[in-house]
Amino acid sequence: MAATIKKTNKVSDFFKSIGIYFKSFAEAVAKGDVFVKLSLIWVGAGYARRKQFIRSLLVTVLQAAVIAYSVLIAPQYISKFHNLGEVQMEMVFDINTMKNIPNDYDDSFQILLFSVISIIIWIVFFFFWISNVINVYKLQRKAEKGEHINNFKEDISDYLNEKFHITLLSVPVLGIVLFSIVPIFILILVAFTNYDQEHMAPTALFTWNGLTNFINLFGGGGMTVTFGYSFVRVLGWTLVWAFFATFTTYFGGILLALFLNNKRTKLAKLWRALFVVTIAVPQFVSLLLVRNFFANNGIANTMLENIGVTDFLQNIGLLSYDYIPFLSAPGWAHVTIIMVNIWIGIPYQMLIATGVLSNLPADQIESARIDGANTGQIFRHITMPYVLFVTGPALVTDFVKNINNFNVIYLLTQDVFTTTDQYLANSQAKEVDLLVTWLFRLTQEYYNYKMASVIGICVFVICAVFTLVAFNLMTSKDKEEVYN
Amino acid sequence: MTQKGKVIQIIKDILRHIVIVLMVSFWLIPIIWLIATSFSAYPGRNTSNFFPEQWSLQNYINILSPTSHTVNFPIWMWNTFKIAMAVCIVCTLFAVMVAYATSFFRFKSRKPLMNIAVILNLFPGVLSMISVYFILKAMNLTNTHLGLTLVYCASSGLGYLIAKGYFDTVPRALVEAAKLDGASQARTFFSIILPISKPIIVYTVISSFLTPWTDFVFSKMILNSGIADMWTVSIGLYNMLDRSLINTYFSQFCAGGVIVSIPISVLFVIMQKFYVEGITGGAVKG
Repeated sequence: MAATIKKTNKVSDFFKSIGIYFKSFAEAVAKGDVFVKLSLIWVGAGYARRKQFIRSLLVTVLQAAVIAYSVLIAPQYISKFHNLGEVQMEMVFDINTMKNIPNDYDDSFQILLFSVISIIIWIVFFFFWISNVINVYKLQRKAEKGEHINNFKEDISDYLNEKFHITLLSVPVLGIVLFSIVPIFILILVAFTNYDQEHMAPTALFTWNGLTNFINLFGGGGMTVTFGYSFVRVLGWTLVWAFFATFTTYFGGILLALFLNNKRTKLAKLWRALFVVTIAVPQFVSLLLVRNFFANNGIANTMLENIGVTDFLQNIGLLSYDYIPFLSAPGWAHVTIIMVNIWIGIPYQMLIATGVLSNLPADQIESARIDGANTGQIFRHITMPYVLFVTGPALVTDFVKNINNFNVIYLLTQDVFTTTDQYLANSQAKEVDLLVTWLFRLTQEYYNYKMASVIGICVFVICAVFTLVAFNLMTSKDKEEVYN
Repeated sequence: MTQKGKVIQIIKDILRHIVIVLMVSFWLIPIIWLIATSFSAYPGRNTSNFFPEQWSLQNYINILSPTSHTVNFPIWMWNTFKIAMAVCIVCTLFAVMVAYATSFFRFKSRKPLMNIAVILNLFPGVLSMISVYFILKAMNLTNTHLGLTLVYCASSGLGYLIAKGYFDTVPRALVEAAKLDGASQARTFFSIILPISKPIIVYTVISSFLTPWTDFVFSKMILNSGIADMWTVSIGLYNMLDRSLINTYFSQFCAGGVIVSIPISVLFVIMQKFYVEGITGGAVKG
């Protein structure tokens, strides 16, 4: 209950602060002098009045740039945003140069991209414009009270002092907006278009098609029933994989760390270093190597055949091939992938667990031992709760990372595993695919961007819901501990 | 302790170490195979024996003095190194800047910005990469090293959490003292905070330097033209195991793998110490 109340408070706080923001804008417009009002049209007016000429010039240049962009560049894209262009690319014979040149065609993707960028620029400028008026009004009040007004040099030194965080954050935030936020909007928008191999921009146009892709994915579309089927299969394996990959390595890592940390273990550092060697080799080397190690005609099969394991498995009817299809048949491949992940993941978790264990509350353990607790009890009641408390958040992020664990699946099975399931093959999926590897193949090999975007949105929703639920559960648990 | 108890204890100790040795050797099998095969005189995959029948250094000589256009290991190393240097500088700057701002300043939009960062981190890199790829394509930056560098640096501002966790432990009295002495915030940052944050900066530098070396999926997606001279180490080595090449190049692949792994291992071992500190330090404080 407490959490919900707190949350609504947060939301109402948010709206309150927005309300205050617009209120102060209205106040500035109402009570400001001529120059503040003039700032509504020419953003540099107020600064010029207060003799902040350089600042005035800078904001004027910014305004001019935005206006120029909005008049000269934006319209040609925004005006076509509703259907993403109409003029198909064609080759026209140019009589002057005696060559075929493309006509003045519409590039649907450019239209989409620049429309999104334009909208973002306008939103940002809108808030800049409001803040500007508020600022100018503040300057007017200062001048009326006879307070000191900064010159340009002092403004700059402000940005190295009280406002240093703005200086620090501006460039990274710009990078995040351009390379994280804009792409996410594009991804979401593409999910509502028919952008695929038959509609490849710029040679062909693509356009909006509403919810068709979502209907296809969730099994509603009659023609592409396979996509719904594949989605369920792939999602199922993704979740099973993420569960096993996370928990096997997590607990394996803790146990290994405890085992090596034990006082009776000699040369603990050496053993630890040897385990770490396996993760220090980059994954694209170690996984590609393991893939060849377990190939159908690879060394693992030769060795197992020599000692008779293959024959034994054939005799008891577990194997219908004359080799063990470690990475080429469903079932076998699933188990192998999880085993290989244990191999690659445990040393990593061991390292983290070793660090956590070195901060164990030693006095608690000591007093428990004096009270007569044995090793098992100490492990269950002190060590494990402590480790869980410290690494709990990491466990959640590990799960999400495993949902998107591209490397292990792709490097182990690409080119090796071919599916025999007709439905899966129709939608370019495989039994061992995670949602991300499927999505990667859809874009890289089949140019099916629309479906890839839909899957991408699904992955995001799954990860976000999981994280939120997990963190909520964890925090409520913490509260219980506090009350007890 | 009784005589019997001692004997049992010794047996337990011996068993413990046998288990460890067994596990370690199991863990090292692929690594030993990698090193052994890299010294094999047979170029393709040895499917009958674990260790090569004949040993030779030829693989290392071949891979370092390339003759064909499909396999050009030194150029791949150089490409990756160039990209890694650029990524390292930009990412470290961004991460440290964002971490310092969110750790030492209390401004209105701080909490919302940090929440947005958490949400954006949930968006798996592979997903946003597809649309980043669209955008790079629209700007004609696919199949360029600049494009790949941009992708690595793009959201590096989001990787600030570990550095922030470290900054949070820096005593605020230091900053206050500097302020009283009349130092500007910028000056405090450069001449007080940065020097005492050496561990976390070393961590950030190494981890961002390693990104291009260990990454596979981004370079595979951006550098997809098939021009071998453009590739980074990871796609180059991946391509050596293509069905048509594997029987000529498998041993060389192993030699290349060993060469790449040595510097990466060294950096990794230096880094992991700081990694563990960052993770535990950040988590304990919550």
